[in-house]
Amino acid sequence: MIACDERSAFTPAHVGVGLRAPHIAEVMATRPAIAFLEVHTENYLGGGPAVAGLERLRHDYAVSLHGVGLSLGGADPLDRRHLMRVKGLVERIQPALVSEHLAWSGGGGAYLNHLLPLPYDESRLEATSRRIEQVQETLGRAILVENPARYLRFRHSPISEPEFLSALARRTGCGILLDVNNVYVSSYNFDEDPHAYLDAMPTGAIGEIHVAGHATNDADGRTILIDDHGACVAEPVWDLYGRALARFGPVPTLVEWDTNLPELTVLLDEAARAERFLRGAQGRERRVVAA
Amino acid sequence: MSSPRELERDFATAILGGPDEAIAGQIQGDGLEPAARIAVYRHHVFVTLTEALEATYPVIVRLVDRRFFAYAADGYIRRNPPVGPCLFEYGESFADFLAAFPPCRDLAYLADVARLEWAMNRALHAEDAVTLDPRWLSAVPPDELARLKLRLHPSLSLLESPWPIDQIWRANQPGADLEATVSLDAGGVRLEICRLEDGVVFRPMTPGTYAFERAFATGLDLQRAMEAARSADPSFDLTHALRELLDRELIVGASASAPSIDNGGPRCKPTPRPC
Repeated sequence: MIACDERSAFTPAHVGVGLRAPHIAEVMATRPAIAFLEVHTENYLGGGPAVAGLERLRHDYAVSLHGVGLSLGGADPLDRRHLMRVKGLVERIQPALVSEHLAWSGGGGAYLNHLLPLPYDESRLEATSRRIEQVQETLGRAILVENPARYLRFRHSPISEPEFLSALARRTGCGILLDVNNVYVSSYNFDEDPHAYLDAMPTGAIGEIHVAGHATNDADGRTILIDDHGACVAEPVWDLYGRALARFGPVPTLVEWDTNLPELTVLLDEAARAERFLRGAQGRERRVVAA
Repeated sequence: MSSPRELERDFATAILGGPDEAIAGQIQGDGLEPAARIAVYRHHVFVTLTEALEATYPVIVRLVDRRFFAYAADGYIRRNPPVGPCLFEYGESFADFLAAFPPCRDLAYLADVARLEWAMNRALHAEDAVTLDPRWLSAVPPDELARLKLRLHPSLSLLESPWPIDQIWRANQPGADLEATVSLDAGGVRLEICRLEDGVVFRPMTPGTYAFERAFATGLDLQRAMEAARSADPSFDLTHALRELLDRELIVGASASAPSIDNGGPRCKPTPRPC
């Protein structure tokens, strides 16, 4: 087991934004006041200007490497080549945070570019724990594992998602990346209570929070929420974020935006709003300590 | 209940457009047909992979129209899903797919334009490499020069087409003159595509220089490369060709045919041999 020092990588907790290709030049030129930048690991595993640019930004910003391709919840053994490339990038960039997802993304030689759901049962818990341990041993550091947005549940899935994530954290020492938008989306899609989800999460293991926008779609007459990262954070998700901070304390927070990418200032405004929530949570924490 | 591997296989089959009965039986409806839930995932997979192909093949998008491109991409993704998680590595065989795609039969040049775009994409993301110090070359004894094998930059590739694909590419850049036309009778072209300091570039090559660089890519030594170049173009100028490769920092390694003076692995910085 690896000690999870990275959980306290940002003290005090601050807000970062997801850095996407169309914003890179502007961020390079204007160096906005933002605590950290999160990028998708898989976009930086080659050579050339992409990774060189990230290395330059690394001088001014903490970086979070957010992976989508390790398939931690998959049936196949870990893709060693991919893992070694991630390791190379981690060594080069020295990120403050490294995260992945509780999902699988392909198998048998096909990669489907999606965070696909797995049934939550004891055998998968065991297998996923082993893979997380392998990743952490290879990288020599703890990672954060994110709850995915879900659009379906399996008939056989006896463990709840918060229990599954809690057990992964307990068994492997990994932290949890709590995506409150995903909590909201999944809970809505299955008529579950997002507050109960938060209450079932362990208070000491949350290393980062994600907030993002979602879309409302119609599927055969039933409303289904889609985690498309394509809009401002929805009001109920801000409420849930406030509630998460009240429960977990001030946690580094990231505003994600991937589709219908707006001007950078819109993203920074969202980050400023999250920062106000965080300041409020820090104020509460200080009052508790003073009392 | 199926095994994890069976469940993934059945899920992937349904996502890529195959039958979904096997996976549907594993899914809780929650007020919706399992097929409708699978469709949510399938939609994301196809939209994002189509976007990845659009990003790599913007000129093809322009040449065939975005809607037709999405139609072709759909067929391509079903048969050729990515094999790894780095999307900048996805789509290498798209040109071959287009070449065999019946609706594109009349656009004979299309596949070669796609090959050019793939070569540029490959160049953009190729591994970084340390350039060979020209002093190393001058330190090689003259009698060993002929047996020298040069390793060119990993971003470099060579492409030969019977169509003027460089002109077609230029005419389809943002801001290009919309009135300009490219005559397909303009003839073929040999191109060198690589990443220089300012970004990815391509340039037309003479038959000699093309044969020269191609020889190194296939592992031939300097003597054989020069012979290949001279047979393609008797006026080939060896010194000029070498000078250009050095000036543009495209030589990243060199080794002699004899193992005794091999300077090591592909990413090692070559060190001058002791005299």
